[in-house]
Amino acid sequence: MATLPPDTGSAVRDLTLVLADSKRLLGMRYAGWILGAPELETGIACASMAQDEWGHGRLLYALMRDFDEDVDRLEHGREPGEYANIEVLDAAPDGWPALVALNAIVDSALTVQFEALRASSHAPLQSRVEKLLEEERFHMAHGTAWVRRFAASGAAARSAMNAAIDDVLPAVLRWYGPDDDRAASLLGAGIVDAAGSALRARFVERLAPVLEAAGMSTAALRTAPDFQSFDPATRRVARGGPDTATIEKVRGDRNRAFLMD
Amino acid sequence: MPHLKVYEVFARKSRGEALRHIGNLNAPDDDLARVYAYDTYDEEKWFDMWVVARSEFHEVFNRGDADATSAVGAVRPAG
Repeated sequence: MATLPPDTGSAVRDLTLVLADSKRLLGMRYAGWILGAPELETGIACASMAQDEWGHGRLLYALMRDFDEDVDRLEHGREPGEYANIEVLDAAPDGWPALVALNAIVDSALTVQFEALRASSHAPLQSRVEKLLEEERFHMAHGTAWVRRFAASGAAARSAMNAAIDDVLPAVLRWYGPDDDRAASLLGAGIVDAAGSALRARFVERLAPVLEAAGMSTAALRTAPDFQSFDPATRRVARGGPDTATIEKVRGDRNRAFLMD
Repeated sequence: MPHLKVYEVFARKSRGEALRHIGNLNAPDDDLARVYAYDTYDEEKWFDMWVVARSEFHEVFNRGDADATSAVGAVRPAG
């Protein structure tokens, strides 16, 4: 962007791609449960959330044009290692508790990041955030209602839910990143109103009451992240990217055969 | 898992309009009923939307029921 200093510009570009890839993959995870969810209505909820996430993803990929990116290549032509999604989305969740954890924890973590863009000085992001957050209200409501439902369904269900949440929390807490130069640059330019540990604190504040009300442990939520091998551009520690099955679907490899010039 | 209840869904297009019944759904509690109603029925531009558990409806009378035992039905002349 011509209007942004180079360091800030590349930080905004990276943030946009992190969010776009995360939304695209999260939509895929929801879509995986449209059929086979525990009840018809929750399958419909997954379909609706998948559509929302794909819409958000599409809109964010389109913003990458401002950074001279080839959007078609971003969506359909990248190698797994080039993806910048939050890494807990690399593989399909192994059961309904794991999907609920993505819904209640990961989707909420993305929302906390978007909320920090509400008053962004970067108009292309700022102007799209409100509608997106409006749709996200019901995602969080769905996720937390299911967490409560597991918690109220006996010790085994509660402990399965707690385990699924604890599986994703370390990567989610790390995802907000350290209080480094990149965070300071985004904050200084008014792109976000919080970064690094301040955003993490907002997320903890949002989730702690949900877990506490459900009688679940908040130990993992209150554990300081380990930033060893953390890549600030992709916000990932794992370098491999999404697994093969995910990449084939998310790039639409099989659909490409039907495209006409 | 708790038992599912039937919820009835109501909505209207504008503030002054009467609520209209737009459908129903199954949910275990009010929280999920709200979410499911939004995800299932928010296809149109509704002004507001409400869910209520069917068990919370109280019959006043039912003129189609020959064996009506409700207060009004019981004293109503046949026909």
